[in-house]
Amino acid sequence: MSTAGNASTVKERAELALNDEFLRKAVKFTTERLRNGKKQASAEHGNWDDWRERGRQIRLHTIAHLDYYLNMFANQARANGVHVHFAETSAEAVKLSLEIAQRKQAKSVVKSKSMVTEELHLNHELESIGVEAIETDLGEYIIQLAGETPSHIIIPAIHKNRYQVADLLSREAGETLAPDTSILAGFVRKKLREKFLEADIGMTGCNFAIAETGSMVLFENEGNARMVTTVPKTQITLMGMERIIPSWADLEVMATLLPRSATGQKLTVYMSGITGPRREVDADGPDEMHIIIVDNGRSLQLGDPEFQELLNCIRCGACLNACPVYRHIGGHAYGGTYSGPIGAVLTPALQKNVAEWDDIANASSLCGACYEACPVKIPLHEMLIYLRRRKQEQGHGNAAESFGMKGFAAVMGSSKRYAGLVKLGKLGQKLVVRDGGIRLKLGPLKGWNTYRVTPSLPKKSFRDQWGTLEQELRHGLKEVAPDVRSRMEAIVQGRDSKGGNGHG
Amino acid sequence: MKVSLFITCLSDTIYPRVGEAMVRLLAKYGIQLHFPTVQTCCGQPAFNSGYWKEARESAKTILDAFEDSDFVISPSGSCTGMVHHYPKLFEADPVMHERALKLQRKSYEFTQFLVQVLGVKDVGAVFPHKVTYHPSCHGSRLLGIKEEPMELMRHVQGLELVPLPFAEDCCGFGGTFAVKMADISGAMVTEKVDHVLETEAEVLVGLDLACLMNIAGNLRYRNQPVKVMHLAELLYEGVKQA
Amino acid sequence: MAKQADSHEEWLKQQAEDSKRKQEAFMNGIAQKLRRPRVTSAPEHPFRGAPDFWQAFEWPLEERVDRFEANFKAAGGHVERLADMEAAKRFIAEKAEALGAKYVIRQNQPELNGLGLEETLAASGAEVRVWNSEAEENWRARAAESDFGIVIADYAAAYTGSVTVLSSKDKGRSVSLLPTVLFVLIPLERLKTRLGEILIRFDEAGREQLPAGIHFISGPSRSADIENDLTIGVHGPGVVHALLIG
Repeated sequence: MSTAGNASTVKERAELALNDEFLRKAVKFTTERLRNGKKQASAEHGNWDDWRERGRQIRLHTIAHLDYYLNMFANQARANGVHVHFAETSAEAVKLSLEIAQRKQAKSVVKSKSMVTEELHLNHELESIGVEAIETDLGEYIIQLAGETPSHIIIPAIHKNRYQVADLLSREAGETLAPDTSILAGFVRKKLREKFLEADIGMTGCNFAIAETGSMVLFENEGNARMVTTVPKTQITLMGMERIIPSWADLEVMATLLPRSATGQKLTVYMSGITGPRREVDADGPDEMHIIIVDNGRSLQLGDPEFQELLNCIRCGACLNACPVYRHIGGHAYGGTYSGPIGAVLTPALQKNVAEWDDIANASSLCGACYEACPVKIPLHEMLIYLRRRKQEQGHGNAAESFGMKGFAAVMGSSKRYAGLVKLGKLGQKLVVRDGGIRLKLGPLKGWNTYRVTPSLPKKSFRDQWGTLEQELRHGLKEVAPDVRSRMEAIVQGRDSKGGNGHG
Repeated sequence: MKVSLFITCLSDTIYPRVGEAMVRLLAKYGIQLHFPTVQTCCGQPAFNSGYWKEARESAKTILDAFEDSDFVISPSGSCTGMVHHYPKLFEADPVMHERALKLQRKSYEFTQFLVQVLGVKDVGAVFPHKVTYHPSCHGSRLLGIKEEPMELMRHVQGLELVPLPFAEDCCGFGGTFAVKMADISGAMVTEKVDHVLETEAEVLVGLDLACLMNIAGNLRYRNQPVKVMHLAELLYEGVKQA
Repeated sequence: MAKQADSHEEWLKQQAEDSKRKQEAFMNGIAQKLRRPRVTSAPEHPFRGAPDFWQAFEWPLEERVDRFEANFKAAGGHVERLADMEAAKRFIAEKAEALGAKYVIRQNQPELNGLGLEETLAASGAEVRVWNSEAEENWRARAAESDFGIVIADYAAAYTGSVTVLSSKDKGRSVSLLPTVLFVLIPLERLKTRLGEILIRFDEAGREQLPAGIHFISGPSRSADIENDLTIGVHGPGVVHALLIG
């Protein structure tokens, strides 16, 4: 049921998704729960906007000084005994990962959830050199068995129901498992326990990396990330170069924002700070630990005033849950590793805004729910507009739309031409108006009128009526109340002296 | 004190009755609105689609129209919100940028002006109907208009306000989005109207004509008799009935 | 690229050199994109940590206990307040008896060493192993086969209902992770209000003093990945008892 299929545009993929009743219900149900959980958790915590602002400031500060903090992190991690690597491209990151796996003569790799490895298609690459890669997050495991990609940052299998999951797991078990979540999860626990204990390498992503101590921090609920970082002899962590925060004190802010925004939890069941491989005297933890710091398009945002804030993202998924478009079409329709509003901006941004990704920026009504939900206040709704602007400035605009917009400018640039066009419209609509509405499903009205009736233009526009209306009201107009007048005067004066918009 | 009306193209061409209601209502408080006819459209359709050069052509008419106004009032949170984008739209031109900042500071959505500036909470209206309210995204999220319409409706005699489930969800309009991504937009407006129907309200009220046109269009398509009104219309209707 | 590395050690060394070179290029690239010179000394960070109003926030002890209990239980955990370690031992023994525990693994901590858990649990047929008490043993496997894991919390935070455990030679990460049932003993004086009171200690301690593993645990392992239906005990312990001592 992967809706990505062979459809090449967002529009086509969205159409497939919109016709998948189950997918829509499943996505709606879960995003609704997560969204409500977040609302309750943030309200209960209180002062939410102060926390968001603090989170944003910490992220802004870190990214603005990324060379300092990332450098510090790398040095500190190395001092902890970590083998630190840098990869500018996904190909380099893959090469490093495979080389380590080969060096360790690994047969199997157990993985905890990592969006970076999804970017790299690392599982596929590992399989290609004969290394078994096993996703151990329950949702990721299900997706892997189905041969799909995650359709949500936090709930990868959001689009699957328990019956589909039971089918997938039954095939793996070689017996029929009842579609009962505790039975299914129980099977996975047993099955993956064996995999953890025999795996040569544990592979993780990284939620945050603490510069001052060279520690990496993982948030999770299942315990699989702890398994992956505790049991195998070798640990490989892939982290986006922007995952840095300066200190453990800053982690308190992220730990306040991330779980509440993601699932409405006060804290995930496990929050682990890993500082280097096991100490000589320790009896568990990896003997050897690698951290691969990945750029893969991230640094393209640096110094770009319109997109640098994208690097502040803490991957909580709140924007997906808040987005009405995501709710209707699900994650696969976005066609990239990241979906929802963050995906619609991040995917083109990481790919240098190449034209083939640009159309996903159109899959938004610009309602701003993503911005409102974002725990670090990334203005995604504005970034979508910037993407659209860049696309057309680079000559990738749709020809008909460009033509239309030139017409728009010609008409709207002059009130005379504007009024003229309205008159013309009133004449033209006579052909199509029935019972005060337009139902014609042709040309530009086709899509709109498939769901709506278009109102007709009234005989007189507002500007046609204005003269009479003004005359009528001018007579017998009351005086403005003195207190109101003085308030108005104060507002006007205050505006001049202090700047800022002073309201709204 | 010059208070000007920024009519917005939808009210001008399709819903002149909303502009009229607003003008008449404000006249009650001695506000004589001034209507500069050089104004056209705020430029949002072009701006949101990425055609900023074209958007500037249109936005210039708004800057010209309200150059010497003290307050600029519009029946739309979205178009007022667009004015808040003007400083960015004109960031490369210092003179225009300054004009844009000035206009931003003096622009108000209708209920903002009524409640924040005129200090009016009770317009003295009577409207004995079951009403539900759709808070449009741009007004509520970007301009922070949340309490003002509630305050005004709470003081309307006889008005029974029924909460709209998932009220804050976008109605699916989104300008050119409704044309480019017609099926997604259609799914969104259908869901919005489902929620409106759940409330069993007689009237759906809002502050943005684009959203209201979208919702009304789907209601009509589905032959549902729910009446759709801008809050200015509702208040003025209520004042006439009082 | 230098000559082909032969041993793994040589390869790692070669990688380290490559990595340091790459690091310079990486950082210079960042500075260049940010259109300014490299930042090499600590920038002023005016927003470090939680907002000021939060830093002053603290609950009195009894409220900490109540809130911890409420939060930990809300996450699916169990909480008991016990008078002393003796009571904790009795509590664990009762559970071992009731659940028919065969293997129990515990941290090698002085508070546990003197408690006589071994003898008490032996009475109900459970064998207690002490983490890393013999060099040759495969301790991960011993933890994995254990029914019970017993640890002492280094800290706990009431506001989030979390316990903190730090790893060391005597404190295995596996003990709080691999067994089916986990007992976390929390001496009352280690129960703080906020997460930040604990986190700040790691900043103060500094890199060299940090253990390899710092784990915050806020209840039993869980997942909602199938139809958003909460499932307990996916990979980590499915039953977690927090025993507040004192």
